[in-house]
Amino acid sequence: MTDTADIAEETEIDTRIYECAVLYPFPLNQKEEKEAHDGVEEIFEEAGAKQVAKDAWGRRGLAYPIKKHSEGSFVIYHYDMDPSKVKEVSDALKIAHNVLRFLLIKPPKGYEIVKFSAGYERWLKERGTEEDRKEEAKEEAIKRRVADKAKRQVRRVEEEKKEKPEAKEVTPIEADKLTAELEKIISDDELDF
Amino acid sequence: MQKPQQQRRSDPRLKKCSFCLHDTKYIDYKDYPTLKPLTDYFGNIRKRYYSGICLKHQKMLRAAIQKARFMGMLAYRK
Repeated sequence: MTDTADIAEETEIDTRIYECAVLYPFPLNQKEEKEAHDGVEEIFEEAGAKQVAKDAWGRRGLAYPIKKHSEGSFVIYHYDMDPSKVKEVSDALKIAHNVLRFLLIKPPKGYEIVKFSAGYERWLKERGTEEDRKEEAKEEAIKRRVADKAKRQVRRVEEEKKEKPEAKEVTPIEADKLTAELEKIISDDELDF
Repeated sequence: MQKPQQQRRSDPRLKKCSFCLHDTKYIDYKDYPTLKPLTDYFGNIRKRYYSGICLKHQKMLRAAIQKARFMGMLAYRK
């Protein structure tokens, strides 16, 4: 009895989560699409896999044409499956109808299943903050440069002042003296020319 | 006379690995926005020297990009 219980426990432990991305061709009839989706799910059910999550991405453009299709629709499945059945499933998927590509991998430990829509929203938020940060950094750099330039100019002006303050200051006094003397001379009636 | 300020190129040795900053354990092949800027116009993977990524994460990145290419998310060659 204990042996069978142990075996049962082991089999439970032995199942692990697999991630399967399937690429279907995009322009498909509703009937064909349903058949293709059901066919793939059936393959997994036959292998005794439990569906954990399913995320349909919908219509996507492809980076290069696959079997003359330039568009496809991705579906990401997460299945709890026995590792010994992986070969069986992948062999069945290879000959499945209306499946362009599939990728069956085991996600690493601590992998969080994130739906595409949720990931996209998070990306949008992070992208905004990153752009803001970059713009702020740029503005700060420009401000610093302007401040430095202003400081340099002030310093230059001060230096120029230091170099020739005497010449400028002397002339007005002399001019005042000159005018005063001239006025004296003019106002002096005793002088005869 | 002051010297004209030259635009200096940043030292590649000072670049930090963007994945190490976020403490990344696994690079997902489905994550298009992180993979795309690490490939060049022709679809080749950027060199570590230019992107500043550490060797550990560059290997992970290569695996992720190869998977993404197989699934038609990224181009092999443009």
